[in-house]
Amino acid sequence: MEMKSGGLSRRDTIIAGLGGLFALGYKGANAQGQANLTFWSVRLNTPELSAALKGILEQFQRENPGIKITHEPVSGNLVYPKFMAAIRGQSMPDIAEAYSYHPLQFAAADQMEPMDDIIKEWQGNGLLADISNEFAYKKFLWKDHYWGVPYNLDIRAIYYRKDLLEAKGIQPPKTWAEFEKAVIATHDPSKGVYGLAFPAGNFHIAQHYYMAFMFQAGGSILDKDGNLVFGTTAKDANVRALTFLTDFHTKHKVTPPGIASHNTDDSHTIFVQGRAAFGMGAGLMISRIMKENPSMFDKVGILEVLEGPAGPSGRLTAGFYNPMFVWKHSPGKEAAKTFVRWFVQPGRLEPLYRAAPGQHWPIFKRDAGTPRVMENRLLREALTNVVPYATDFAYPGFGRPEMGVIDGEKMFAAPVNEVVVGAKTPEKAVLDAHAAMAKLFV
Amino acid sequence: MLVQQRKRMAFWLILPTLLLIVAFKIAPIAEGVVVSFQAQSMMRPNPDAFVGWTHYKRAIFEEGVFGAALWRTIVWTVGSVAGAYIVGLSIALLLNREFAGRTLFRALFLIPWVIPEVATALLWKWSYGDEFGVINFLLMRLGVLETPILFLSSPGAAMASVIVVQIWKLYPIMFITLLAALQSVPRELHESAEIDGATVWQRFVYVTFPYIRPTSVIITLLAAIWTFQNFDIIYLLTGGGPADATKILPTLVYEKGFWGLELGYASAISLLMLLCMTVLSVTYLLVYRAQREET
Repeated sequence: MEMKSGGLSRRDTIIAGLGGLFALGYKGANAQGQANLTFWSVRLNTPELSAALKGILEQFQRENPGIKITHEPVSGNLVYPKFMAAIRGQSMPDIAEAYSYHPLQFAAADQMEPMDDIIKEWQGNGLLADISNEFAYKKFLWKDHYWGVPYNLDIRAIYYRKDLLEAKGIQPPKTWAEFEKAVIATHDPSKGVYGLAFPAGNFHIAQHYYMAFMFQAGGSILDKDGNLVFGTTAKDANVRALTFLTDFHTKHKVTPPGIASHNTDDSHTIFVQGRAAFGMGAGLMISRIMKENPSMFDKVGILEVLEGPAGPSGRLTAGFYNPMFVWKHSPGKEAAKTFVRWFVQPGRLEPLYRAAPGQHWPIFKRDAGTPRVMENRLLREALTNVVPYATDFAYPGFGRPEMGVIDGEKMFAAPVNEVVVGAKTPEKAVLDAHAAMAKLFV
Repeated sequence: MLVQQRKRMAFWLILPTLLLIVAFKIAPIAEGVVVSFQAQSMMRPNPDAFVGWTHYKRAIFEEGVFGAALWRTIVWTVGSVAGAYIVGLSIALLLNREFAGRTLFRALFLIPWVIPEVATALLWKWSYGDEFGVINFLLMRLGVLETPILFLSSPGAAMASVIVVQIWKLYPIMFITLLAALQSVPRELHESAEIDGATVWQRFVYVTFPYIRPTSVIITLLAAIWTFQNFDIIYLLTGGGPADATKILPTLVYEKGFWGLELGYASAISLLMLLCMTVLSVTYLLVYRAQREET
């Protein structure tokens, strides 16, 4: 962020004033020199994950008696209002874990502490080399600084019913053409089974499934230099991917009729209830099958990432390496970094992975092939068929704060939603989405 | 002397409330006005930079989203308020009669009013669902439908569906207020009109309605203000979709302000919204005053 030349702006004055008040009332370090830190979590708030996190935090405090962590869960729906209000009121948490592009967006607002020192340490001690994908950390690189560090991976996959495919004598599909044939062949309304369940609603997670097909068609949102190409050089591939995906609903009619209002949970539920042969879902689907319909566990498989028009090089799917970050103005930012260093360690977050199998994946290779994973067939399939191909939606580019707004304003959920309800052709939907995105890149 | 003392006392008594109104109503609006003339995008440097009417011009002339959202907001408001008024008035007329269990029904009809909006939205989402919804399930079980109605998935049906939810939420306040107004209508007037041969409809139009018209104006105006700025119902039911069919001004402001991080632009849209509301309210009150003076 540029500094103003000469004088304090009104905002600076407010920040300085509030900072002064904060300093007067600050309890960041008590008489015994204990640092009191606030930690906001967005993605660890289910009862199971909260309980696991509580145990991890207690362990940290036992090992670091000089640092007290106060954990505050933040609802996913309120994440932006909460952070925006905190920025304007200068009451940001010392540490937070949140969505993919938050640290870059907050860095653009001059609120983030660079994490270059941690990345440098990881380079030195070999941890960086152990991270499964360079996009995991390079996505946080913007203006020559790392504004966050990854701590987990959230995958998107295609689940299928092995028993239904076997009944039709169909092998698990590996290409777009095979996938299309298999979905159409397994659609059986007389048995209440849809060929494919995927969310096409105007929601954030819904849009992530389009992304996988975009990459497989050779398309993308950005090029490798971070320039917007969604509706320009990548347009044809993106239109092709959008047509392929939405054809399942508009042309082949093998999806639930109301997918235009479905979010990921709806698709998960349809698949978990055994009412779809194929279902697009997050890693959370594994937990839901294990918990809600365990008898279906042996009948389910996870597809290898499909090969589309782009060939083997385009075999990619969406995956989100989620960040931890530290507030620039935190009086305890060194203690906060100590916590981050401690938290993002091989083996450390195992209780989280156990609490919700499949929902959170480790970023370190050495954590992936543990007995916990290898002894669970679906986790094992996800590990081999999906995790290595998971990449971020800025691919092949790295960090751009604009991607947070593109995700936030659901700019690539809109094309899917609009085509599915017949409001636009795929080409028009892609071009309109590009026009909306282009305003951010001025 | 005594009058002056009482005035001074009154001033001190209302001062805390005034201060609260200034702190929590006037100051945020004033801040909103200031922000609407500043860049205030978290994605850009120098957020305090003065940008004049840029955001307003963008909203009104450069992007079609504001005009489209304004139109949808008007449809949403008029549909909800008109529907709630008709339902509320019908129930009020019904419950103004003497019958056993009237008090129980009065209490039951109030239930939607006391249910929080988030719970209301979730309840209706569950009812409307194409796969898991109670309405479609029952209609298909009874053989009325072969395929589910896409209440929230079809752009043609989504607005009507969310309006029904808002009607459900609003009608209790309409009916309880109108019921109170109905009870002020002198029974003798009805009796004499009946003797003069007036039909039920004529008695309603010429006897009842003139009595409840002032209350009707106030309650519909209030309901219009609540609905115009309502956010939760639509956001939770449709997120503004499908294909923007239910994207009204409050959801647009939320999207631009909090997800788009464009506080300046979102503030400008909010103030345009406030302006629309002010114009509507003043026009409505002027029309009402003119009508009253005529009569």
